[in-house]
Amino acid sequence: MTVRRILIGVPIVLIIFLLQAYFWVPTYEQQTKGNPQRLTEYITASIGDASILNPILSADSASSDIEAMVFEGLIDRDEELRFRGRLAESWEIHEEAFFYVNEEAAIPQVGTANAHEVLELLRRVKGGDIPTNAAVKASLDNIREITVIPARSFMVTRGEKKAELKINVTAPPRIKLVLNQVDQDLFQNLSTILGKGYFSSFDGGSYLQADQDIGKNKMLEYAQEILPAIEHNPIVVFRLRPNVKFHDGHLFDAHDVRFTYEAIMDPKNLSPRIADYEPVKSVEVVDPLTVRICYKRLYSPALSTWGIGILPERLLNAEALKKEAIARGKDPERFTMRQSSFNRRPIGCGPFVFEEWKSDQYITLKRFTEYWEGPPNYKQYIYRIIPDPLTQEMEFYAGTVDSYAVQPHQVQRLKNDPTYQNFSGLSFGYTYIGYNMRREPFNDPRVRRALSMAIDVDKIIRYVLYGQGERITGPFVKQTDYYDHRIKPIPYDPQGALKLLAEAGWKRNKDGWLEKNGKRLQFTLITNKGNNLRNAILATAQDAWKQIGIDVRTDVLEWAVFIQERVDKADFDAVVLGWQMGVEPDLYQIWHSSQTHHYQLNFVAFENKEADNLIIKIRQEYDHKQQVAYCHRLHEIIAKEQPYTFLYVSKWTAVLDKRIVIKETDAEGNVVYKKITPTKTGNYTFHFNKWIKLPEAPAFSAER
Amino acid sequence: MLSFIGRSIIQKIITLVFVMVISFLIIHLAPGEPSQVDPLNPKFTPEMVERFRKAFHLDEPLHIQFVYFYRDLFTGKTVSWKDNEPVLKKIWGRFLNSLPLFIVGTILMWTLAFPVGIHSAIFRGGTYDRSATFLSYFLISIPGFFFAYILILLVVNTFHVPVIGMRTFGLGETSWLRIIMDRTWHLLLPSLLGATGGIAVLSRYVRSQMLEVESQDYVRTARAKGLPQEQVHYKHALRNALLPFVTMFGLILPALIGGSVIIESIFSWPGMGRMAFEAILARDYPIILTVNFISAVLVLAGTFISDLLYMVVDPRIRL
Repeated sequence: MTVRRILIGVPIVLIIFLLQAYFWVPTYEQQTKGNPQRLTEYITASIGDASILNPILSADSASSDIEAMVFEGLIDRDEELRFRGRLAESWEIHEEAFFYVNEEAAIPQVGTANAHEVLELLRRVKGGDIPTNAAVKASLDNIREITVIPARSFMVTRGEKKAELKINVTAPPRIKLVLNQVDQDLFQNLSTILGKGYFSSFDGGSYLQADQDIGKNKMLEYAQEILPAIEHNPIVVFRLRPNVKFHDGHLFDAHDVRFTYEAIMDPKNLSPRIADYEPVKSVEVVDPLTVRICYKRLYSPALSTWGIGILPERLLNAEALKKEAIARGKDPERFTMRQSSFNRRPIGCGPFVFEEWKSDQYITLKRFTEYWEGPPNYKQYIYRIIPDPLTQEMEFYAGTVDSYAVQPHQVQRLKNDPTYQNFSGLSFGYTYIGYNMRREPFNDPRVRRALSMAIDVDKIIRYVLYGQGERITGPFVKQTDYYDHRIKPIPYDPQGALKLLAEAGWKRNKDGWLEKNGKRLQFTLITNKGNNLRNAILATAQDAWKQIGIDVRTDVLEWAVFIQERVDKADFDAVVLGWQMGVEPDLYQIWHSSQTHHYQLNFVAFENKEADNLIIKIRQEYDHKQQVAYCHRLHEIIAKEQPYTFLYVSKWTAVLDKRIVIKETDAEGNVVYKKITPTKTGNYTFHFNKWIKLPEAPAFSAER
Repeated sequence: MLSFIGRSIIQKIITLVFVMVISFLIIHLAPGEPSQVDPLNPKFTPEMVERFRKAFHLDEPLHIQFVYFYRDLFTGKTVSWKDNEPVLKKIWGRFLNSLPLFIVGTILMWTLAFPVGIHSAIFRGGTYDRSATFLSYFLISIPGFFFAYILILLVVNTFHVPVIGMRTFGLGETSWLRIIMDRTWHLLLPSLLGATGGIAVLSRYVRSQMLEVESQDYVRTARAKGLPQEQVHYKHALRNALLPFVTMFGLILPALIGGSVIIESIFSWPGMGRMAFEAILARDYPIILTVNFISAVLVLAGTFISDLLYMVVDPRIRL
């Protein structure tokens, strides 16, 4: 009967056809042995896809992974996290400082003085004619040049077009100081010579004349802006590397640097990095290989922003965009860099050239043979998008992925496998429990400390993280100098916690709950849904606190609700959250007391005068040693105040096939293979451009 | 007939308008913001967030946004917020990726479900029928993602071959036959997994339909007049049992665009379902709403087609 035969035959034939395909697919070994080309390809996996391949526009990690390969910045960080030159060969930082001559102020032993008298005075003190203390002397020795900018008159306009305000300014003479090094204490030290109130009593408002009456306060605001009594202008001069080429063959020069800066600042481009470059006053092209960057104020984290990938001006300037808009039939007026097709096939001067991008599948790059530092060993770099961590692991076993982000529980499985080598290191971030210090009982530091003491963090690390974490005591990245290793973590001590709470007035009642004035110690600990680690911490903390008699409720909220309704509006008692950190020690947004309003990041409302001062000093200090000293003090204050219970910094682990090694050519031209070792700061891909996969795992004579 | 078609189309258009309004409202009123205006990224200053809101028209009242969105959609100008790519082009690309998965899955489902179901019905109550019943309920109740993981682990650990994605990476230059076979292999697991639930459910339907028809008088007559068993089952019974399944073809249509979120995400298959899912996570409204709109159109068209098919194959029904 044909119907029956068809009904049974068709599915059998179909299934046999599908199954026989198995014999055509290469296994792990066949891929490396049977296909030499595979050895020159490096395949890595990411959970998410890139969104926009333009270093000034992207804000996600997948995009920046690719941008790091395709683009090159002026500088980056070396093994020890110090800056090193990339597109910039060298750089130099000095300062220009200015102050207006305050003709009304009385200078000690001199009286009122005009510009030239002030200039003379400063020269005399600098020359050593008048004795001063060491700090002031150091400041003065640092001054390279003192000049007077004569008085001048000019007009400025402020306000909207309709209600334009014209202000006539008759600026008094100004003293310009050129410093060898940036000196944030300069004016403080100068005021010992010129008198305490010399700078603060300068009344900029009296030199302004507006054509409309705008009130005294508004006028003062304008005076602050137009005639600031003192001004620091740090200056960075970059000497650029000659003969560096973009992937399309044209030469890189200083105009590309200026263009990149201008593109970031162009409001049409909606660059998420605009805030980083706001302190820049001007970027000047001195000659094709020299850029001079002048800043409006002291802001030391600014140097690191020049690690941004440099864009090719020729392909993205207004003219090029206009051409593209017309070619694609778009309105040139509304066409911005964001719409440009450059963002899907970028061109930079990094070690790899962009090749192809299939959304949600892969991005492929091939090596740039004319890379200034010599081409990478790998011929191709493939970035696969695999949204599921378990299947990433499966692809790794099957040999179609060379590296992936290993989960803590997977580390144990892979650690002892002889096929693989593994590395681990600390990540740049930490997990914490934050307390809303606006609320009782968290406004008492003793309570916060007691809560920290009651949690056994080591246990969390052991059981929740499978040992893939380390304790942390403060807000800095643990592997940088800014982190003070002398500060010991708070020990697990429930009895001590009870004692502290008793000091704060919380006593156990007959049911075992802690009580103060008849009110139970009760609060809610919240976190977001979807993060298993945080949920486990939530449960552990709740249990630990219950054991000492605190009535803790917990709530797990969907991310958007959690952030918008609770954290942003400061409507919480305690939260479990984490911060991702950069290397720069700038803590202004998270810890400064001016950032405690709704929608700001100091949502626990940490306020401390000394800390505020230090935070400002840290971001104004250009001397690394001094900065480290300030950071250590700040770390100590925060650790003592315990606005957060600092829990842990997690470890990352990477697993690679043992056949992947570093290949170098020594001075005599011999090829040398070396084992891949992570740098001190835990970056194992630091020498990526020298990596290569060999057909057989080499035996290293001096294997450590 | 014509009046039915006319009435039906008008009704469906009205439903579509409601779907447009409601889905738009739900998506905009749900908590969460597009990732571009995520306020917890310290790099984003409030002014920037404001500018993004403006660029996305998020600062306008809802009804204006509604008009903007559907105007752009019907003129084909909608772009994804994530990467500025035209939405329709993106959806088309993904649709083409999902298509092979869908075709192989559907063929597997329909070709396997029928023999299994018919056999169960013919040998009703026997060992085969019982084990098929057990297996069906087992497959219906096992969570798809779990089953997928088990299968992947099994295949990778025993055979050491890649199964994720649409093809093997790093295959290098090789013959076209090998490339085709490699792609076929990568199709096998996801389409099989996508079909298992369907096979289990559909074979149950086939079985009960067959049983119902087999107890009809005309089947008994056929048996009584001495026709061979096979002819009774496959000619007289099966043809009539097929009737309700014809209409199911119309309902396949919406599944075309829905894809399978779970299977596609696990196998990192760049299909429709995964794109829609990721768009929801990133609050990429243009993509979510466009997919929603197209699938609403397809659901309505599917029910319309199945109504028509029913009329064609079953002369008893007159609308």
